[in-house]
Amino acid sequence: MSRRSNPARLVIALSVAAILAVFLLYTSVAGGTPSLKPSELQGRTGIVTLAGLVIAPVRGDAHGSGLRFELRDIGGSGSVPVRYRGSVPDLFRAGRHITLTGELRNGVFVGKPGTLVTKCPSKYTAKKQT
Amino acid sequence: MADLGRAALVLCLGLSLYAVVAGAYAAHSRKRRLAASAANALLASFGAAAVASAVLFSALWRHDFSFAYVADSTSLDLPLGYTLSAFWGGQEGSLLLWLLVLTGYSAAAVLLNRRRTRDLVAWAVPVLGVVAVFFSFLLVAVASPFVTQAAPLDGQGLNPSLQNPYMLAHPPLLYLGYVGLTVPFAFAMGALLSRRTDERWLVATRRWTLTAWTFLGVGQLLGAHWAYVEVGWGGYYAWDPVENAALMPWLAATAFLHSVMVQEKKGMLRVWNVLLVILAFCLSLFGTFLTRSGILNSIHSFTESSIGPWFLGFIALVTFGSLALLFLRLPLLRARTRLESAISREATFLYNNLLLVALCLTIFWGVVFPIVSEVVRGEAVTVGPPYYNFFLKVFGLPLLLLMGIGPLIAWRRASLAGLRRTFAWPLGAALLAGVVLLALGAGSSPVGLVGYTFCAFVLASILGEFFVGTRARRSLSRESWPAAFSSLVARNRRRYGGYVVHAAIVLLAIGVIGSSVYDSTAEAKLGPGQTMNVGNYALTYTDLQERETANAREVRAEVAVSRDGRALGIVRPGKNSYPVEDQVSNEMAIRSDLVTGEDLLLIAEQVNPDGTVHFRALVLPLVNLIWLAGAVFLAGALVTLWPDAREQRRLALRAEGRLVDA
Repeated sequence: MSRRSNPARLVIALSVAAILAVFLLYTSVAGGTPSLKPSELQGRTGIVTLAGLVIAPVRGDAHGSGLRFELRDIGGSGSVPVRYRGSVPDLFRAGRHITLTGELRNGVFVGKPGTLVTKCPSKYTAKKQT
Repeated sequence: MADLGRAALVLCLGLSLYAVVAGAYAAHSRKRRLAASAANALLASFGAAAVASAVLFSALWRHDFSFAYVADSTSLDLPLGYTLSAFWGGQEGSLLLWLLVLTGYSAAAVLLNRRRTRDLVAWAVPVLGVVAVFFSFLLVAVASPFVTQAAPLDGQGLNPSLQNPYMLAHPPLLYLGYVGLTVPFAFAMGALLSRRTDERWLVATRRWTLTAWTFLGVGQLLGAHWAYVEVGWGGYYAWDPVENAALMPWLAATAFLHSVMVQEKKGMLRVWNVLLVILAFCLSLFGTFLTRSGILNSIHSFTESSIGPWFLGFIALVTFGSLALLFLRLPLLRARTRLESAISREATFLYNNLLLVALCLTIFWGVVFPIVSEVVRGEAVTVGPPYYNFFLKVFGLPLLLLMGIGPLIAWRRASLAGLRRTFAWPLGAALLAGVVLLALGAGSSPVGLVGYTFCAFVLASILGEFFVGTRARRSLSRESWPAAFSSLVARNRRRYGGYVVHAAIVLLAIGVIGSSVYDSTAEAKLGPGQTMNVGNYALTYTDLQERETANAREVRAEVAVSRDGRALGIVRPGKNSYPVEDQVSNEMAIRSDLVTGEDLLLIAEQVNPDGTVHFRALVLPLVNLIWLAGAVFLAGALVTLWPDAREQRRLALRAEGRLVDA
């Protein structure tokens, strides 16, 4: 059987090319969201995901004027004030690690509704001794 | 007691080291008795791992808080079931579970195959030994579950949100799946090392792959169901790295299960199959690494730990080692036949494989993208659900379509006339379904419409296959329809079990499409007597009730549900607060319609002091088919797994026959 008439090569080559094309198309159209620590937020514009530790006190109403709290670097000291309206997971509270997607507006990080994610405490962790 | 556990682990390490060294030497120099001794050492290592596990179980059982592991993850008031499940709750325990399952699988695989495929087993033993050495080394030197301390009065306890029956079953099932992929990997490596690259390693490991794949599939669905009913955010899969960690090896194993058939039948795709087995095994190691290293931001934020670098090193070793071996053996893996036509059964299998692997690799790319971008750009960029959903559509929809085409198309070369005949019925059914769905308004989502048309196509082709097969059997044996049907399935378990699994995937697709593109949501703040609408439901908030229970204060909002003006009863979403643990849990109300498969979810997001409640409501059409798919999947997998002596003999004979031809 001659090389020309072997469809296997053609099929594989075409499929690989198609997959690559789809891939490039996607990455050029829609990128991901940068994920940052609160201390890296300074002067940053655009949508980012912030990962940090919730600092007490947590004030306000998530379904009214908005929840207000400080978010601090995990294992660091930089922090940023946060405002968030929308669903709040059960495990959310001061002292927890969260991620939140949104953008910085006038020095306050404003979260998009529904993007507040509380990390599950590791499968079976110790009770917080507070 | 802890000393006994430590000693058992050291013994396990020693035995598996012996299995590696003696086994490799014996296989290399063809010393049969030494090879048998290495295999016995591997069997004995299961005994040692079992003793170590028994020690940990007994410590948990006795609340022996002198074990740091027991004190860190349980407390006196924890119910017995959850106390024992803490075995796989922490890192050290889950590594021990890995080792126990691994040595157990290894022992069984060696015992079942040592007569039939002695030359393969001789090399599979040291390969299995290498993996056992790695895990027992970690348990002995890096993360020991037997660290002791002065016993505190009580343990630290278990997070209440994890005291859930699903958590008893979900992690061990996933482990049974992850670890099970070691067996086909070891036999593939055994085939390469022994230069016996015929089809016997596939025959020997088919059931192992199927078993591991079934456990992984069921384990993931259980996890999804747990997330759906307990976590209460109105979804079941969030493309979280840890969820993806289990999905990737499952996809690779799915591709493998399909391409194996091409190799068995046509002797093609031999290199590809070895590659897939390596991919599946490495992904299962990677999955364990992801869940345990804390390297990625995940909803499951496991503590960052010392085992990460070890795991990474082992994954690199396995990947490079097995790829180098594959490269060395390439000349032995030439295909005996070639693909003759791009329209044939084997070509369809090839497309299916490319799509599955492409989906698997794009998910992998998404999972590691934060790490890659951190290295390249100095900033971690995460890709979210839009990325994954996009590729699920791009690769998933063609896969769905292929599931209807593959089983009908002829091997070698399909003729156009034959195609027209075979596809008339499923194509007609799909077109009809498409038109009906369009009339019902499914056109609101083109993806949904296309997906459902494909689903109809696949279901019609599966039903057609069952019908044609049963009819042929009936005319041959003059049996009644049910008798002909059951003997048809019994005589071709792999084929018809496979079709049942396909039907399960269609159900899953119907459920996922329905709940993700035809869903409706609404949010409102309601006072007593006020009503909100979602989909064609009307929800009237009537009353707020409070109740004290032994350990919680329960608040429930009573909401009257009606659909199209017909009253459907009352649902009670609310919140529980646990004063001791200082924790609140959202108690979502689910109203399932078992006829239409639709769920109404009602979440009391916030209960205000003035008696008003902020509600979020979701209508997820057909979502219950996802859970039904789980049951059908399991049934289909059991049919294919059911022992069939005749088939095994046939396959073994064919493989031997090939060996003679070659």
